[in-house]
Amino acid sequence: MSSSMYNTCSNRMNFVLRVLLLTMLFGFLLTCALVSHAATTAPAPAEVEAMLKRSDSYRNGWPSYVLHVKITSFEGAKADEEKLYEVSQKGTEKTYVEFLSPREKGQHLLMLGDDMWVYLPDTSRPVRITPLERLSGDASNGDVARTNYAADYDPEYLRTEKVGADECHVLKLTAKRKGATYQQIVYWVRVDDDRPVKAEFHLTSGKLIKSATFDEFASVAGHAQLRRMTLYDEIRRNSHSVLEYSGIAPRELPDKLFYQGRTDRF
Amino acid sequence: MKKYLLIPAILAAAALRMAAQDAQAPDAPVPEARRDVRFAVAVIDDATVYSGLQERLPEVLNQLLVEPTVTFRYKPALSLSTSLIGAEDRYSDTWTELRVKEAYAGLSAGDFDFMAGRRIVRWGTGYAFTAAGVLDPPRMATNPTDRLNLNQGRDMVKADFVHGPHALTLAWSTAALAPAAANLHEVNLHDTAAFRYNVLARGFDTSLIAGDDRGGDAFGALAFTRVLGEAWEIHGEAAWREHEAILLGGKYTTAKGITFLGEFYTPPNIAFYRDATVSPLAGRQHSLFLNAGKNRLRELPGWKQWDVSASAVANLNDHSLTAIFDATRRFGNHISTYVHMEAPVGRGKSEYGATPYTAATSVGVRFQL
Repeated sequence: MSSSMYNTCSNRMNFVLRVLLLTMLFGFLLTCALVSHAATTAPAPAEVEAMLKRSDSYRNGWPSYVLHVKITSFEGAKADEEKLYEVSQKGTEKTYVEFLSPREKGQHLLMLGDDMWVYLPDTSRPVRITPLERLSGDASNGDVARTNYAADYDPEYLRTEKVGADECHVLKLTAKRKGATYQQIVYWVRVDDDRPVKAEFHLTSGKLIKSATFDEFASVAGHAQLRRMTLYDEIRRNSHSVLEYSGIAPRELPDKLFYQGRTDRF
Repeated sequence: MKKYLLIPAILAAAALRMAAQDAQAPDAPVPEARRDVRFAVAVIDDATVYSGLQERLPEVLNQLLVEPTVTFRYKPALSLSTSLIGAEDRYSDTWTELRVKEAYAGLSAGDFDFMAGRRIVRWGTGYAFTAAGVLDPPRMATNPTDRLNLNQGRDMVKADFVHGPHALTLAWSTAALAPAAANLHEVNLHDTAAFRYNVLARGFDTSLIAGDDRGGDAFGALAFTRVLGEAWEIHGEAAWREHEAILLGGKYTTAKGITFLGEFYTPPNIAFYRDATVSPLAGRQHSLFLNAGKNRLRELPGWKQWDVSASAVANLNDHSLTAIFDATRRFGNHISTYVHMEAPVGRGKSEYGATPYTAATSVGVRFQL
């Protein structure tokens, strides 16, 4: 091979190697930039917990309050049944639910932390029930009685994501204790005001059991409160329930309303 | 401003101001009502067919029951409640009666609640049996939920003090006003004074009970319930009245919502606990109750409105048992129909074998408002 041909090949090789090196360097720098950007924009854990508490305030506007819940279950597009409840909530641990529908009239439900009792007129006494017994129906007793995620779940920030027109933070909530209604929730809240947008509910096995959209909010005494949410059954795909909240009002509630042995129900 | 416009202007301004005050602000919370009334009425038409009758009795018992309940509350202190049973029974003949299931007045003052009147009180934690339910209506293991709501309360005065997880209850119940055969199998009514301390601690809902029957025995009892994990519930009772009575039970719920319940019960064979079909010479009895059931068969297309359960209650001493099956179907919010079947098995002189029929099938319609 003549020296000129050698030089030509060598120059071409050098050119290719330089291009390859520059490409790799550029890719490395781009990756570093993206990773550092993600790291710097993820909120600190304390901020994520504060985000979750602000989100809870849309469903728990006062330390002690009363509200009415109407749950309409749908099979396909057809309304299947309707249930009415009066919910009394004090703090994050005490919930008392009175069943007002004709079919369930006389029944009551009490939650104290992880402990739950159902009062049935047939038995004339409170009956202790397990966490699995809470999951009844499209909207479970836990969906009605347990709405304070900050008390029951540890949040982890996942990402931001656009849902419709709303830019949202996406949080992964992991149950702090076995008594929680769901063991894992993926939760979307608006970036602007931490208002809940949607949620996915998972069992201990990781199986997706329900999803929810938080559809309508209204102002009550200066607090924006949830008015309507929809729960979708992810196992029986043609079923969903609409929960409508009304009559929301702060109340002074006596502790003995939340006494587990009380049979003097309304 | 011209004078003839001044007065109308003032009146118009005043009217607008009053209208603004009267109209509730659009986001104002709902004010609490001082008076509140709850009303419910159930109408049940039940027909029971007896098969294999061993005595000359009609095969069909028809019962029509009207059960209104009214509770009036004047917050925060006063409540009045009554629950009645109007029954018309057709068996060997037709009779009609009005029973007062409950009728009482309640007064609430701070941490204290006072009550006087007829009231159903259940202190026992068992499902089919009870050892600690000293004021409870009699529990029939073959009908633990009193499906037709025929039980009546006891006449009593009761005071409760509730503070945090602690509660103290003092009750005095008289048998003087109880009608004859007030409750099924009720033969041991005395004037009873009873005290209960109840506390929820570390997940244990625990009660200590003590009392005395006038002209009868003093007694003491302990009862508890506890939930373990996601699926298990355990409960138990221990009572002392001349001799000990023990009850242990547990409940397990599967991920699909099927509930399994079991109870073991051993009372002493004394007059207070003895069943009418058990000989006084038979000694201590041992009973077992098993139940499996599911409410709302959601997984099966078209079966969402169904509840089904199967039970068996057995006397382990004489090897007799009764098998029970229940199915309920709901139609809308107000109407349900049901089937209840019992089949006793055992020797002629055994507790369940002494039942004078081989099977009893009840079908009924219930309307609730």
